[in-house]
Amino acid sequence: MSRVYLYALLSGTPACETGVGVCSERLRVVALGDLVAVVGDVGELPAPTALTLRAQDAVLRRLCAAVDAVLPVRFGTLVADDAALAESLAPRRPELARALGRISGCEQMTVRVWGEAPAAAPPPVAVEGGPGTRYLAGRRRAREWIHRVPELEPARRGLADLVREERVERHDRPPLLATVQHLVPRGAVGRYLDAIDGARAGLRPWRVSVTGPWPAYAFVDEAA
Amino acid sequence: MTAPTRVAAREILETADDSLLDLIDNLLNRGVMISGEVVLGLAGVDLIYLRLQAMLCAADRVTSREAP
Repeated sequence: MSRVYLYALLSGTPACETGVGVCSERLRVVALGDLVAVVGDVGELPAPTALTLRAQDAVLRRLCAAVDAVLPVRFGTLVADDAALAESLAPRRPELARALGRISGCEQMTVRVWGEAPAAAPPPVAVEGGPGTRYLAGRRRAREWIHRVPELEPARRGLADLVREERVERHDRPPLLATVQHLVPRGAVGRYLDAIDGARAGLRPWRVSVTGPWPAYAFVDEAA
Repeated sequence: MTAPTRVAAREILETADDSLLDLIDNLLNRGVMISGEVVLGLAGVDLIYLRLQAMLCAADRVTSREAP
């Protein structure tokens, strides 16, 4: 018995041929109100191999070339049938539509920051109040820190006009210090890479590596 | 977690090139999750991702457009 493997949610029906999926199955589209799902009918769950991961990425890239907004779905997402798919997505259609609006016309660039040690966190500001207040202030500083990448500051000016949104994941386990995902307009990748390259000297002692463009894998969190 | 998933986890990371590491990160760690889904054994995915993190932290494997 086949089940429905979900690849992506789109803002509209792709103009192109959707082609085949990770199990060489022919893909089809399922209209769900203002969303369109791209699915395949598979007999069993595909194992996460290099071949299947590349195949799924290829499906998403093909869709990105044909539609303005593509929300990638996590690898290995399987539902019983189209009705189960519609039922799962129904309560979330508004937020998914908003997410599609945010990523429309954009793609993802991934920056990894490397170095022997992270930039020093700003010194704590003296906080009035008792130990509870100081504790909470410390927690807030820590929470803010995990969303900051001061190592990238020298590149900020050059990237300012190109980055629509940013997601930060601090690792602070040298040599990998942070992973930063940038949502950039399609067609701006060349200028983005030039901006990074132009900032490399100023970024030292930290180094950055850049990969992309990718489908907007990291910018679906509001819909997750 | 099924045994095949564990084997797949080991094999994929042992043979991963730079672009595949980012692909693993994107496809297994990100993307829309929907309720009622059947995800490949969660423990298997965790295993892959933990090993990915270890590899990324062990060496600068993602080297495209890296500083000279």
